[in-house]
Amino acid sequence: MSLPAADFEAALRRVGAQRYHDRHPFNLRMHEGSLSRGEIQTWVRNRYYYQTRIPLKDGLILAKSGDPGFRREWVRRIHDHDGLRPGEGGLELWLALAESVGLEREEVASLRFVLPGVRRACDAYVEFVESNDLLASVAASLTELFAGDIMRTRIAAFRRHYPWVDERGLRYFETRTVQAPRDASDGLAFVLERAKSDADQQRCVAALERKCEILWSLLDAVEAAGSAPRLVPHALLREEAGETFVVLPERAVRTNASGRRVLALCDGARSSDEIAAALASEAEGAAGADPARVVADAHVFLDELERAGAIRREPKAPRGPAAGAPTPP
Amino acid sequence: MSAGPSTPERPRNLVAELTYRCPLRCAYCSNPLDYERHREALGAADWGRVFREAAALGVVHVGLTGGEPCARADLPEIVAHAAGAQLFAHLVTAGTLLDRAGLAELRRRGLRSVQLSLQDSQAGPGDRIAGTAAHARKLRSAEDVRALDMALILNVVLHRENLARVPELIALAVELGAERLELANVQLHGWALENRDALLPSREQLEAAARAVAQARRERRRPELLFVLPDYYADRPKPCMGGWARRMIVVAPDGRVLPCHNAAALPGLEFWNARERALALCWRDAPGMNAFRGEAWMREPCRSCPERARDFGGCRCQSFALAGDAAAADPACALSPHHGAVLAARERAGARRPPAALRYRGAARAEAR
Repeated sequence: MSLPAADFEAALRRVGAQRYHDRHPFNLRMHEGSLSRGEIQTWVRNRYYYQTRIPLKDGLILAKSGDPGFRREWVRRIHDHDGLRPGEGGLELWLALAESVGLEREEVASLRFVLPGVRRACDAYVEFVESNDLLASVAASLTELFAGDIMRTRIAAFRRHYPWVDERGLRYFETRTVQAPRDASDGLAFVLERAKSDADQQRCVAALERKCEILWSLLDAVEAAGSAPRLVPHALLREEAGETFVVLPERAVRTNASGRRVLALCDGARSSDEIAAALASEAEGAAGADPARVVADAHVFLDELERAGAIRREPKAPRGPAAGAPTPP
Repeated sequence: MSAGPSTPERPRNLVAELTYRCPLRCAYCSNPLDYERHREALGAADWGRVFREAAALGVVHVGLTGGEPCARADLPEIVAHAAGAQLFAHLVTAGTLLDRAGLAELRRRGLRSVQLSLQDSQAGPGDRIAGTAAHARKLRSAEDVRALDMALILNVVLHRENLARVPELIALAVELGAERLELANVQLHGWALENRDALLPSREQLEAAARAVAQARRERRRPELLFVLPDYYADRPKPCMGGWARRMIVVAPDGRVLPCHNAAALPGLEFWNARERALALCWRDAPGMNAFRGEAWMREPCRSCPERARDFGGCRCQSFALAGDAAAADPACALSPHHGAVLAARERAGARRPPAALRYRGAARAEAR
């Protein structure tokens, strides 16, 4: 039994109320003003990767529709992000934000220091759209229904708590307060019109839930990067034939020399970002050492340690606007 | 993939059953039905030798279990031997015998984690399963473990009487700061098989519990939640013990070296004793260890089954209990000719009925007197 349109819409909005990332601890801390400059930078650098995936996702959606009218409307989203001329559009505005928070434009645009967990989350979104039909893909985009509010909250929070970010940097958010509700109402109308069967409606709700999960895990990765890992007190480090094993209840994590170095730095004082940067600077000069690779490997290993229960990560206390995160080398 | 009998794979885990004594009388106890006939034959120094030999074989984890391992006065010494052998020392306890000072002593000697059993989220039904008042004492013990900076693993055997309280159990695990919550659907062996109709849940109960677990996993990463559908409902058997004599060594209180804690109940198998021979020999060469190692023992439908490398033919003890033949395919498998026994039990479990009377651990012997 399918739901009447109003109830179906309510079900979609309920997903947002329960799972949209405005409730994520990282966003809550951003909006209450307790993020350090380094955490803001990590977020801006990584969220840019998400921005770059949006036009790819929208291109895939265009290719799923045989309706010129739909495509004419939907292509606007690509224009919004890419601009109609070089130097315009949402991606450009995001790079301006990056500069405003003290990052190098080229470094951010290169995507070299995107966290592996963020890459995985954003790629999962593109893959979702690739492997699903038009209806589910449009339904997944309906997080835009909830984006207008979060943009307004964010602008106010930045003006109040992070005055070191100049107004030029906030233009992306301001643009989205207009674009997101317009996009959302188009997308919502399409989904309400097309999803008539119970199965289709359930697929739409599930697609929106999946999208919320993706946004949530993006922030999980960003939050983890700024948090300080500490080896759990019950871990047993065991040497065996040149390898180190971190032995834990029910499992053991095998590691090598650079893993041992990471473990030695898990002292509860350094953030994951700082540990990764330390490894990269130690590797500097070594033949064939690619700093981006070293940084990514360190984050992957820290994520593995956390999943295994070998480390716990606590958010670091804000270091104030004076202290910056380490700039990746 | 599967090793021949002469080249067993490296074992990773030692299950050290220090004693069969236990103050609890759980209706699903996994100790053998005739547990009272077995004496404790290994002293602390003997266990020390077993641990060193196990480490040399490649073992990384030792689970100190029972019965109730805290019933042994020499437990601190045994823990020290485990830590001295560079093993990850893990205590599996019901948590009713040691106070914080006792646990602190074990921590000092090198204990790293504690698996505490809970029977339920509530004292009433929990104590009913345990056959004694234990719940409140267990909660204090959980606090002690956390206060001493050890990893707390909670283990709850799930069955038809407590499955509805999975959400409460998860909330309790969060509150107690558990690293991991093992929601272990009851394995129908030994005492549990005696109580099968009282314990086997319905499919609806299991599905509701699975949904609660999925929901909780979305909400938080810790505690890690373990929840596996019981094999009675899975249509394929569990890879029991990770394969017979493949990854785990069990040493029983009398010193016998076994592939699983129940293997000695199977007829006609000869196992060796760690008191009399080196652990490596007991592990590698005892006829009972090689009886079902690898794949040579398998018959159809297992022998040609593409899934045999994953599930190893399931559980030998369950085959013996339900099909009367330890070398038969596990009747939990839908491909087993004896699967009807499992289907019939499932059907009985689907019916609504009041809680059945329980037969407690120890009761069978009392009746036989």
